[in-house]
Amino acid sequence: MSRKLLVPLAIVLLTSLVLTGCPKKAAEPIKIGLQAPITGEYAYEGEGFVKCVELVTEQINAAGGILGGRKIEIVKCDDVGKPDESSKCANQLVSAGVAAVIGSYSSTCTEPASEIYNEAGILQITPSSTATRLSQKGFKRFFRVCFLDDRQGLFAAKFMLEKLGADTAVFLHDNSTYAKGLAEWAEKYYKEAGGNSLLIDAINPEDTDFRPILTKIKELGPKAVYFTGYHPQGGLLLKQSKELGTEFKWVMGNACNNPELVEIAGLDAAKGTYITTEPLPKDIPGDAAKKFYNDFVAKYGEPPASIWWVMSADALNVIVEAMKATNSTDSEKMAEYLHTKFKDYPGVTGNIIGFDEKGDRLGTVHEAYVITDTGEFEMVK
Amino acid sequence: MGQLLQQLLNGLTIGSFYALIALGYTMVYGVLKLINFAHGDLFMLGAYLGLVTLMSLVVSMGLSANLLVFMLIFVIVMAVVGGVGIVLERIAYRPLYKAGRLPAIVSALGASIFLQNGVMLLYGARYRTFPEEFKTAVPEVMWTFAGARLTLMQVLMLIISFLLMAALYFFVNYTRVGTAMRAVALDHDTARLMGIDVNRIIALVFVIGPALGAAGGIMVGLFYGRIYFTLGWSYGLKAFTAAILGGIGNIPGAMVGGLLLGLIEALATGFVSDAWKNAIAFFILVIILILRPTGLLGERVAEKL
Amino acid sequence: MKDFRARLRNLDKRGWYLILGIMVLLFPVIVRSDRWVQVANFFFIYAMLGLSLNIILGYAGLFQLGHAAFYAVGAYTTAILSTHFGVPIFVALPISGLLAAIFAILISRPILHLRGDYLCIVTIGFGEIVRIALRNDVSSLVFLAKIPGLALLKEKLTTMVITGGPNGIMGIARPRILGFVFRQQWHYFYLFLAFVAFTIFAMRRLENSRLGRAWTCVREDELAAEAMGIDTVRVKLLAFAIGAAWAGVAGSLYASWVTVIAPESFSFWESVIMFCIVVLGGTGSIPGVLVGTIGMVVLPELLREVLLNIQQWRMLIFGAAMIFMMVVRPEGLWPSQRFRRELELAREMAVPGS
Repeated sequence: MSRKLLVPLAIVLLTSLVLTGCPKKAAEPIKIGLQAPITGEYAYEGEGFVKCVELVTEQINAAGGILGGRKIEIVKCDDVGKPDESSKCANQLVSAGVAAVIGSYSSTCTEPASEIYNEAGILQITPSSTATRLSQKGFKRFFRVCFLDDRQGLFAAKFMLEKLGADTAVFLHDNSTYAKGLAEWAEKYYKEAGGNSLLIDAINPEDTDFRPILTKIKELGPKAVYFTGYHPQGGLLLKQSKELGTEFKWVMGNACNNPELVEIAGLDAAKGTYITTEPLPKDIPGDAAKKFYNDFVAKYGEPPASIWWVMSADALNVIVEAMKATNSTDSEKMAEYLHTKFKDYPGVTGNIIGFDEKGDRLGTVHEAYVITDTGEFEMVK
Repeated sequence: MGQLLQQLLNGLTIGSFYALIALGYTMVYGVLKLINFAHGDLFMLGAYLGLVTLMSLVVSMGLSANLLVFMLIFVIVMAVVGGVGIVLERIAYRPLYKAGRLPAIVSALGASIFLQNGVMLLYGARYRTFPEEFKTAVPEVMWTFAGARLTLMQVLMLIISFLLMAALYFFVNYTRVGTAMRAVALDHDTARLMGIDVNRIIALVFVIGPALGAAGGIMVGLFYGRIYFTLGWSYGLKAFTAAILGGIGNIPGAMVGGLLLGLIEALATGFVSDAWKNAIAFFILVIILILRPTGLLGERVAEKL
Repeated sequence: MKDFRARLRNLDKRGWYLILGIMVLLFPVIVRSDRWVQVANFFFIYAMLGLSLNIILGYAGLFQLGHAAFYAVGAYTTAILSTHFGVPIFVALPISGLLAAIFAILISRPILHLRGDYLCIVTIGFGEIVRIALRNDVSSLVFLAKIPGLALLKEKLTTMVITGGPNGIMGIARPRILGFVFRQQWHYFYLFLAFVAFTIFAMRRLENSRLGRAWTCVREDELAAEAMGIDTVRVKLLAFAIGAAWAGVAGSLYASWVTVIAPESFSFWESVIMFCIVVLGGTGSIPGVLVGTIGMVVLPELLREVLLNIQQWRMLIFGAAMIFMMVVRPEGLWPSQRFRRELELAREMAVPGS
């Protein structure tokens, strides 16, 4: 070898030695990943995830940690609500050596990440991604503490036909994975049950003026409109719908299950709107749920804004429970435990009956709420 | 028939906001040949500051929400955002004028990201709403004809934006400073020889443009009652499209472009599909530009990249 | 040691390139982390996209701010060919490039006469139209059935799935050569590295070719170029076609790597990133594009590591960094010699008498 080559080679070898030689310290705390949209379009949900997960972590650590006094350390990663960032996040958390992961928020982000966590053999629990197909890939360590879209769609279709007596309807979504899925499921069940669907269309969530589409719907004259998008747009739809003097009834999906809906729409426009959803944070039965709700208010000075925030707390609870029960941080063992032995856990989102073989939460808890004259969400009996 | 009329009214309302924001793009472009991609975010900043001053004046200081207070808010916010515009020009654009046009655009994109995330950090990542009491500041009067509805609020918004646009038009065309501005737009060097302080004119453009954007921001906030820190991104792209549609650098062009874009959107939603609305709008834009390569009203000088 | 230092100082350009080359080749071994190999892979994809945009924006001087459209056409072509027809990735790859090029020729032909910012908004427009079309899928075109004579289409339209709407397409096959399947991040690392190396080689040849010189002429002065007998329309079309073909290939590689694609990955924001890569690095400069890619793709990832618990500050700092880099080096981080000379010339002209 020529002597000229020796210098470069020596540099390369030295650097690689330095870079690879760092010894790893024995990790005392248990690292759990939190992948959430901390910035970007869904930042308000990501913020809620962080708040809830930090609250639970604080409480567990204050009580002395788990597995013989080991503390929990949350490793956060911001996926901005975009699929590319999500896969980067997933790899970052895998490299950080997390034992399990909570996240992400939207189905669009959870999907690419779940492939990476699956390959790395890490337990993943999503608090809020409800797209049906996520759990149909046979990933053994993928779980969710929320419920699937199609069941809500069925509930909504029946509710509109039977409770509201609306035999003509319009279905409106915002072209996100989740909202489109829910709208299509609802329309399918609605038609099967004999309803007449006049239109299914998508709004653009970045818009603020929805008068054009509302004018069009008014012209079609349905008895009910089912909107499956998110509450910031839902609020504006209600507000502008009232200004246009529409006469149909509004039914909205669980992404509108948020007090801000009323705030944005204004009380006048919001009252009488129906919402199909899991129970609200304040209505969740069980002592654990009540305690969490009060602790949250005590710490942050406001109640949790959406069900998804609370779901993220339960995602952590389930992980911790699995660690305690298996006395390990091994994803394989935890997944096995969650699939088979995990039963009737008093979660902060109500009783968690268990998980099926695909990792989906068992049972269904959908309820219809109506917004009262005082702006409260009241369960429809 | 009722629907067509209503959709035209809808489109006019949407379009008047686009037009107001498009003016900022067009003014900066006219003078500097720079696409100020951060303009949409200055508009968004205006919306947030509007809410903040409204809250502090009315809620904290207990002033009643009357016309005078609203005018005061407009003045304060427009002044502050105008100031931000000057600072932005000094820091992000002025060092780049000599470097051709592309670097300034990247700098503008950086400024856009910075402003967006700055507002997110300052005011939180949540959607913010204008409290109920401001919505009732304007009485709920409405007129119905042929099945179409028009609210007083809508009329007010249209009037304010037309007033602002008219004021700008007269300022640019019939005042000394406006004349100087047009001279700078035509030719920096000659204008300098004529004794015009070019840098001051540029600074002025960076006050007026953002200030108009800020006014648009307050109006959007008041009218729709809900603001968000990514608002500038979507409105900015629309307004930029409107400015190009009318012929960028051309002030009446921005107004025509804005209104036309609003109408196209409303009609596309009403008679085709909301999901395809933006695609249809862009398609029509492409067709118009193929037929009229410098926009509807055209620009004076076609500049190469 | 003294001897070693002396040698280090005497190292010529080739020596440094050699070090760099070996470091790059050994990168996966050195970092031993899937995360950073993945970041490197994103770097490669965006470097290819940047280099392809550099043809249109840098060489030919066409203001293109909708490059994600070509990237999307490439990615979706591969995804559809792979999932619907079982076409192997390496067969789908050239088809994707070709289709992207044809698409580019079709849309750019009528708009070539537009200047500067008008061209910019039209390319943004095409980018958005493509993204919206992918996101809506054909089933949302069911309103067409209302048109008399097209009613028969209704059944077909509602059941047809091509782009998968917002869900995108999943289950794209992985590339394979002679029985070897690319699976791990580091497999892709070497695949992409090969493509990027080839791209750089091809770009260097292109830069100094007859066509490359023609692009420069058209960029500098279209009228003069025409007078010199250059077919400006053909030359500009070729810039779009070659640039698009390369972006299409990058899209195809991307699709086979992530195996799930959705319209969100091809938004206006992606076009903005590609645009910034080229200008930040130095318009028209190949090493500039690579440095620009580090600035736009690797820097945010580094910030992610540094800002452990203040993630929400990341994009704020990134935005400020973009302004800072541009203001400090207006000609780009690693400008091409030709552009630097032009800039100096412009500065001298701008201040008469100095």
